[in-house]
Amino acid sequence: MKKLIQLTINDKEFEIAVDPNQTLGDVLRYQLGLTGTKKGCEMGDCGSCTVIMDGKPVNSCLVLAVQANRRKITTVEGLENENGLHPVQKAMMEKGAIQCGFCSSGMILSAKSLLDKNPKPTEGEIRSAISGNLCRCTGYQKIVEAVKSVNE
Amino acid sequence: MLLPKFDFHEPATVTEACQIMAEYGVKAKVIAGGTDLMVNMKKKLVSPEQLVSVSRIEELKKIDTAGNMLKIGSCFTVADIAASEQIGKKWKALCSGAKALGSPLIRNLATIGGNLGSARPAADLPPSLMVYGAKVVLKKKSGERVVAMDKFFRGPGLTEITPDEILTEIQMDAPPAYSGAGYINLGIRQAQDCNLVNVASFITLEGPGGVIKTARIVMGCVGPTHLRAPSAEKLLVGEKPTEAIFAKAGQAAAGDCSPINDFRGSAEYKKAMVGVLTKRTLGIAYKEAMGQ
Ligand SMILES: Cc1cc2nc3c(=O)[nH]c(=O)nc-3n(C[C@H](O)[C@H](O)[C@H](O)COP(=O)(O)OP(=O)(O)OC[C@H]3O[C@@H](n4cnc5c(N)ncnc54)[C@H](O)[C@@H]3O)c2cc1C
Ligand code: FES
Ligand code: FES
Repeated sequence: MKKLIQLTINDKEFEIAVDPNQTLGDVLRYQLGLTGTKKGCEMGDCGSCTVIMDGKPVNSCLVLAVQANRRKITTVEGLENENGLHPVQKAMMEKGAIQCGFCSSGMILSAKSLLDKNPKPTEGEIRSAISGNLCRCTGYQKIVEAVKSVNE
Repeated sequence: MLLPKFDFHEPATVTEACQIMAEYGVKAKVIAGGTDLMVNMKKKLVSPEQLVSVSRIEELKKIDTAGNMLKIGSCFTVADIAASEQIGKKWKALCSGAKALGSPLIRNLATIGGNLGSARPAADLPPSLMVYGAKVVLKKKSGERVVAMDKFFRGPGLTEITPDEILTEIQMDAPPAYSGAGYINLGIRQAQDCNLVNVASFITLEGPGGVIKTARIVMGCVGPTHLRAPSAEKLLVGEKPTEAIFAKAGQAAAGDCSPINDFRGSAEYKKAMVGVLTKRTLGIAYKEAMGQ
């Protein structure tokens, strides 16, 4: 039986009916069309499904949509505002830290969460903060440089 | 990857949760952070008909350090343990275990109760909890019981928790004066990795410069459950804490376990690493015991 849940996604309120066995990631992508959130491994290993839930980055493939009821979600679509792209997004572009782009939304959300708490992280702190986000293209170096450059 | 179908329950209190577990028994499973259970459900290793989420039960998210004792609610997250100053002050090895678990994304979801409930022989939190002499509180509709961590694991994926019970709290006393503990996990990479070998050690000294009064060593990944290293512990008691005796204890610990060959490493290598990690964790424990 479907359950009615309320989600605040990128500051907008949604009320939707979901099956208990749907993940938050699937609801975002297939029910709400927010395809910025990717699906890679679906097992918690790759981080391409990262969203920020109640202020903390998590794997949306491991969260049931019903467990996200009444929580606040930020997806990559929520980062751009009237001033344009988020500083992390800009830095990633400027530093050439995006190749195929599949890891980027998750990577950007993990980096944003880090910078919100710790505006001037060390390289070690950056590498640790993105350690749940796998990138098969860039070799990470440019991603680390991009995150480092945001508040420099 | 589709999850099997199930009914979802979200009790607001432990009492309510126990009632649901009593009603459904083996048909139900508790879900906390879901980082272990969701993966097993996706792989169709388990297909509970009823899923009981405990993550909205406020009383399970509390931590209490009053009275020289640590009480952690089962839904306290691994990220919060890693960052907790209160836990870091007296139970630092538990924080080391929490920092080593998964990735930041996993740690934000994963709970201490789930880490124990999953009963993986490679899990990061049990070794330190066991050397600190922790106990768990298991509640059901008709009452509650307290089980020592040493008696909690029954085998890979198997614990003392019965189908109608919920793990509500983990308790441990503050270590006595001149005590220290260390935890080290060895894997192929630092994040997102299953451990190859992990060890926690705990010692209490008679006083500064005194002999070792108590020693507890727990090894992971080298048996069906986490194991104590009895001959290593025995060898340490009554001895002066030195590098040499720590190395000897390492050799004894290697003899206390019988790991298997698997794709992660050979039995011989794992034994050798138990020796090294025992020695190093004793070194960390000693430093802490001396207040360094
Ligand atoms: C990518 C990835 C990396 C990981 N890396 C590590 C690692 O490095 N080290 C490590 O130790 N683990 C690791 N894990 C495993 C897992 O994240 C941890 O064991 C975590 O602590 C489980 O907690 P949870 O709250 O998510 O448990 P859940 O998945 O919710 O539950 C796990 C089990 O415990 C039972 N359970 C949970 N809470 C209770 C309760 N209160 N009462 C009774 N039963 C309960 C559930 O029924 C289930 O059987 C990893 C997992 C993933 C997906
Ligand atoms: S899709 Fe969620 S971690 Fe890979
Ligand atoms: S840019 Fe392709 S996976 Fe990271």
